[in-house]
Parts: sequence; C-alpha cells; structure tokens
Amino acid sequence: MSAVVTTQLAERRSSLLVTVLAFAAPVIFVLVPLAIFLVYSFFSVDQGTIVYAPTLGNYVRFFTDPIFLPVFWNTIVLCVSVAVICILLAYPAAYFLTTLRGRWRYALLMLLLVPLLMSYVIKIYAIRSILGLNGFLNKALVAIGILQQPSTLFVFNMNAILLTLSLLLIPFAILPIFLSLERIPQTLLRASDDLGASGLQTFLRITLPLSLPGVASAASFVFVLAIGDFLTPQMVGGTSGFTFGRILYSQFGTAYNWPFGAALSVALAIVVICAILIGERFGRSRGTSV
Amino acid sequence: MNALPRPSTIFLAAITTLVAVLLYSPLFVPIVSSFFTISHGDVDWSSPTLSTYRALAENHDILTALRTTLIVGLCTVVLSVVSGTLLALYYHGRRSGRSILQFIIFLPFLMPPIISGLALLIFFREIGLERSLLTVVIGHTVFVLAIVYRTVLMRLQSMSRTLVEASYDLGATGWQTFWRIILPNLSSAMVGAAILAFALSFDETMITILVTGTQSTLPVRLWAMMRLGFSPDINALVALILMFTVLLCVLAARFLIPRQMATERS
Repeated sequence: MSAVVTTQLAERRSSLLVTVLAFAAPVIFVLVPLAIFLVYSFFSVDQGTIVYAPTLGNYVRFFTDPIFLPVFWNTIVLCVSVAVICILLAYPAAYFLTTLRGRWRYALLMLLLVPLLMSYVIKIYAIRSILGLNGFLNKALVAIGILQQPSTLFVFNMNAILLTLSLLLIPFAILPIFLSLERIPQTLLRASDDLGASGLQTFLRITLPLSLPGVASAASFVFVLAIGDFLTPQMVGGTSGFTFGRILYSQFGTAYNWPFGAALSVALAIVVICAILIGERFGRSRGTSV
Repeated sequence: MNALPRPSTIFLAAITTLVAVLLYSPLFVPIVSSFFTISHGDVDWSSPTLSTYRALAENHDILTALRTTLIVGLCTVVLSVVSGTLLALYYHGRRSGRSILQFIIFLPFLMPPIISGLALLIFFREIGLERSLLTVVIGHTVFVLAIVYRTVLMRLQSMSRTLVEASYDLGATGWQTFWRIILPNLSSAMVGAAILAFALSFDETMITILVTGTQSTLPVRLWAMMRLGFSPDINALVALILMFTVLLCVLAARFLIPRQMATERS
C-alpha cells in the first residue's frame, strides 16, 4: 500500500517537473527579456551611460515632442494601406487557388510562397532598382504613355515604402486567406447552389463571410510585419520617408538612447496588440454568426 | 466552386498572374543580371556570361556567410522542431496553463521582430552572454517556435482519437502507440514545420542584425554590402538560391502532397 503511495508521489513529482520544464524555457527566453525591456523604458541615459532610476521622462518626451506622434500616426496609416493593398491582391489569388484541384492547387500555392524564401535584403534592393529613375516601372509607364518622362515619384519617399512593403508582404496575406477558404465545407456551397443561389450570391453570403477570419488575420499579420520593419524604410525611404521603425532603430544605433528606444517599443507594441485583437475579434464574430 | 462562370475565372486567373509577376519581378532582375550585363536599366542580351558564377566561387566572404546561415538554420530547425513538438504533445488535451503558455510562445512571432530582437539584445547584455552565433540561434528559435508548435498541435487535434484508442485496444503500450501511431501521423506536419522554420531562419534579418556578434549570416552580410552596392556575383548567388528553393519545393510537393490527399480521401 505504501509502495503504491510512493510511486504515485514520485509520478506526481515527475509530472510537476515536466510542467516546470515545459514552462521554463518559454518564460526565460520570451517573458523575461520582454519584462526587462519594459523596465528599461523607465530608465534614462546620461552622457552615454544608462541611469537605473525610474522615471516617466521617456513617455513624456514621446507625447510632448512634436516629432514623434506625427511620425507614429503616419506610419500607422502607411501600414494600414499596405494591408489593404495586400488583401485586395491576395484574396482573388487565394480564391483562384481553391478553385484548382489536387496537386495543382498546392503547386501554385507554393509558387506564390517561394518568393518568401528569397533574401529579404536582395528583394528590397531589386525592388528599389525597379522603382528607380532608370528602373523598369518608369520605362513601362513612359512606354504606355502614362508618364511623359521618368519620374522620381516611386523611390526615396513614402510611396516607395508603400509599394515595396506591399510587394514584400503579399504572400503573408495569401496563406491565411487560402487556409480559411479551403476550410469552408464544399457541402455548404453545394447546398447554396441547390437552393438556387447564383455564383455571386453564394460568394457574398457563404464564402466571403466564412473567409473573413482569414482576411482579418491576414490584415493584422501584414500590418504587424509592415509596422515593425525598419530595413525597408531605411533602404527605399530616403530622407522624406521617415517611419517609426527607423526612429526606433536609430535609438539603438546613432542616437544611442536604449531606454527611450524601449519606451518607443512599448508604444509600438501597444499598437500591434490592438491590431491583433481587433483583427481577431472582427474575424471571429462575423465567422460564427453565419 | 467549380461552377464558377467563365469571366470570373478569367478575372481571378488574371489577378493571380499579376500577383505572381509582382512577386517574381524582384527575383527576375538579379537572375537576368547574373547572365547578362545591365547598364542604365538596359539589358545587353548579346553577350551571356557565366563570369559572375566564377566570381562567386572565389568570394570567400559570401561563402562563409552562407555557411554560417546554413549552420544557424539547421540548429534552429533541430531546436525548434524538438521543443515545439514536445510542447505540442505536452499541451495537447491539457487545458491547465495551455492558454498562458501559448500566449508566451506566440509573443515573439506576433510582436514585430524589432521588439523581440531588442528585448533579446538587452536580455543577453543583462545576463552577460556575449553576442555570437549562439545568441542568433536562440533568437531564431524563439521566433520560429510558434510556427512549429502550432503546425504540430493542429495536426494532433485533427488526428482522430479512434486511432489512438484502437492502438490501446489492440494491446499497444503508450510508447508503442507514440512511435507507431502518433509520430508517423505527425511526421508530415513536422517536416512541413521544419521547412518553414528553416526558411524563416535563412531569411531572418531584423532580429539577427540586433543580436549577432562578429560572425554575420548571409542577410546581415548582404545588408552591410548593400550600402556600397552589390558586386555582380551576388546576382549569381541569388539565382542559385532561387533554383535550389524551387527544387526543394518541387521535391516537398512530390513527397508530401500525395500522402496528404490520400489521408483526406480516407
């Protein structure tokens, strides 16, 4: 009897150990760094060294300095635009994929996802050369007759960041939309067809509402990736395309103010969390109400 | 969905083609320039050359960076697939603590990489861990863990419970059930997760820039070179990487998809 109790105790102890282990690694490598980061945002810098005394100065500076809030807002607008462009292009493509059968469907899906595997840096560089004064886009527009002569409208400004980010992030919109479209039971579409709905009606009343969770997660995905990007704006934005990510990154480089950078990161994190929550709520409520 | 009228199919196909063209145009530029010389935006089609490939073979800087990237990628894949699968197995069917843990695992993936990267940068400094390839691998693993965990967990959840119950009914032990029923059913999800993890690690630039030491991975090396402009042999590298990835995808499609379709049918 006592032997059984001991083995039960040992089992409980080992399962407790497994639980601790299952929690430990994620907590140490994710939660602790983020917590330290948050604490850093309340420190300050004095002549190149970090002062470990709590202050709200970084946050006061963020809200009162005339530079940061406008850039912050402009960046949010920019990234929402990127998300919209990506979804407008990705939704039809994802829908087209689901109309294909078997191997073709996945082969084409992979074809559209392969560009993700290519070096991000190389793609930015290539897109910059396409958008540039002597680039392909200008040549094409002049050839069609839309432009009289090559323009610098598409490089080293906000437009350039918008176009480049959209081009880079489309695959991230395709995948979640494709997955949500694929998950829609074929029986629903057949039932709708049997009940006399037209293709368009079936799309608007069955397919579209059921795929909104995918659209919502695609939107928040693209938005979050766009707003956190500091490489693209740096490379194609020139001097006028100044985004929040660039300011944030410069605090850890040239400006050397880690605590202020941490405070800016907190502001960024709050926007990102809001974006994710909004996306999720919107997608889920519409998806389940049908 | 097959009852679509023709015009809408054509419209969808046209948009899909446009998207494919948009996605591949940035890749097209370097590949063309790896075989032909381009000056002032005009391609000189008359004289194809392989000299860029020869130059690449002698660019030790880039080859070292490439090797570093592969090492980091493999370490990341092993670490993330093992720990992601273990976590998924542990939390499958267990409610207590799961949502908290999922929240923690997903944080680095949902947060912008600049935040994860900076948090790790400060963390490594506070615990006195010198920036090196180890810190890069940790950064990458933390970043891709969510993908692996989610892929494996979703497969576990879609797996029919009757399979496991049947295995127990036929007298198999817990370990036998794991090795002969659960793991084979998970394997394609794990391979998929591994490919994704490797791809993400191979291309990861933003976290890496922040946590890397003196040894740089390929993206970081390219980023540093980009300020000065690329030498032509980089184009050759891009062309080779693209060919390799397409080959890998074709192989993956050949091996993974028929099996997937077979399981769907049954």
